[in-house]
Amino acid sequence: MKGYGAFLKKEILEYAKTYKLFIMLLVFAAFGITNPLVAKLMPEILKSLGTGGIVISVPEPTALDAWTQFFKNTTQIGFIVMVIIFSGTFSSELSKGTLVNLLTKGLSRPATVLSKYTAMVLLWTACIALCFGLTCVYTVYLFPDDEINNLPFSVFCLWLFGLFLLAVLLLSAALTGTAYGCLLLTGAVVASCVLINIIPEAKRYNPVLLASENMSLLTGTAEVSSYGSSIMITCIAAFAFVLLSVMAFRKKQI
Amino acid sequence: MGILEINRLYKSFGEHEVLKGLDMDVPEHSVFGFVGENGSGKTTTMKIILGLLRADSGTVTVCGEKVSYGETRTNRFIGFLPDVPEFYGYMNPVEYLELCGEIAGLSKSVTRKRSLELLELVGLKEYMKRKIGGFSRGMKQRLGIAQALINEPRILICDEPTSALDPIGRKEILDILLSARGKSTIIFSTHILSDVERICDRIAVLHGGRLVLCGTLSEIKERNRHNGFVLEFENEEEAMLFEGTDELARYPISLSRDRNTVTVMMGDLRYDGRFLLGLLAHLGLVPRRFEVMEPSLESLFLEAVR
Repeated sequence: MKGYGAFLKKEILEYAKTYKLFIMLLVFAAFGITNPLVAKLMPEILKSLGTGGIVISVPEPTALDAWTQFFKNTTQIGFIVMVIIFSGTFSSELSKGTLVNLLTKGLSRPATVLSKYTAMVLLWTACIALCFGLTCVYTVYLFPDDEINNLPFSVFCLWLFGLFLLAVLLLSAALTGTAYGCLLLTGAVVASCVLINIIPEAKRYNPVLLASENMSLLTGTAEVSSYGSSIMITCIAAFAFVLLSVMAFRKKQI
Repeated sequence: MGILEINRLYKSFGEHEVLKGLDMDVPEHSVFGFVGENGSGKTTTMKIILGLLRADSGTVTVCGEKVSYGETRTNRFIGFLPDVPEFYGYMNPVEYLELCGEIAGLSKSVTRKRSLELLELVGLKEYMKRKIGGFSRGMKQRLGIAQALINEPRILICDEPTSALDPIGRKEILDILLSARGKSTIIFSTHILSDVERICDRIAVLHGGRLVLCGTLSEIKERNRHNGFVLEFENEEEAMLFEGTDELARYPISLSRDRNTVTVMMGDLRYDGRFLLGLLAHLGLVPRRFEVMEPSLESLFLEAVR
């Protein structure tokens, strides 16, 4: 594990200097602020569109609508931005050859992979925390009286799914060594996870559950306990993918 | 026993066999010129030494320790300069060397001290606060040497360090390498033979996946020396006059002339040399050049790879 700390510092410095940090924080901060705002203004927006005589009755917005926006934005645009930004993590270093100098200095290959994963997880955690914090503050401000169930647990599930997604991304990057290959493989894995949901019995074991059924927790239509299997599978899969990435990268000819 | 030993190394990329049983032994404190045509497998060999590529079979030993593919343990003895070194463009040289030092396991203060010394050595001190992204190729090459030397390696491996540089840049890089000679064994791949003549004391020629020539430069030249003299005259007439003398025709030697240069091959340099000098004095000719024939590295190389 020689060089883990040094390489982690380099990764974080790289995020800062190549605007990855800035873009990610900006996107998630924007979501954080707009989630409650869009929920609050939705009836006004629909009214102003002029529906040509058709009467649309919009219920009074609540905090739940703000959190619907939060989960929708994070799982759609948020994840896409994250995957695109991180997809070049190995390919740029491999194609340019910047890793050669450091590997020949004694940086161990497992340390390279693990510090890349750590840096991605740290940035993802910071982003989700920022977005969550901002959404919280504005939601309390705009909808002061609304009560929400299981919110921390639901966000934890989303965060955990992020870890799983990053592990998939890491393995794809280590296996393919190119940015497009990494995007393709990550997309394929996520798509097959979604496809598995066609089998109703598989649903509760599927990691996708953690990022698709968050609102059910908030509205109280789903129990916390019913997420246990999925959480376990997600943790095991993420761990296995990171381990496989280390093994794949050890065998990579550079 | 050498500081670097390679035994029966095989490596192929798909159908293409690059190394076919390469054996090499590099003694400590030598400057080892590793010569071969483009695509002869020099870079492949170096990458196998560094554990970056997997060999099909064969062993590599660095300072008595076996190199295993994918591991970086033996790299603590080695400093490596890739043919085109690449850096993180957003860092400045000091930041980059600090990263290298930390990875190599040096303390902060030692890294700082070494970085400044090395930047001074490679002539980048005035650029130490500039982003590497804006560096020229020569500057990157020099920073590459600095990063390779940061952990005071016992072996410095340079992959064609001068190939892409202009004559001044080349000379500077060679001078820097020469100054590192005392502390490290230098292995230096190239296809520029004059660079080899300038700084190497040992040479190995890689051709067809094997070494076809290996030894100290003087040894190889000695082994391939042909007894003979080269005489260069003022003009073609003088050369023809010398060539046509009766004394030479009666003497057991072979002659060849190329314009104003006459090459004389003979049995005994001392005895026959005296005869030639006597003949010149007798004819009243003063040659512009009179020297013992030395095999040039180029001719040795061409002969070896034929």
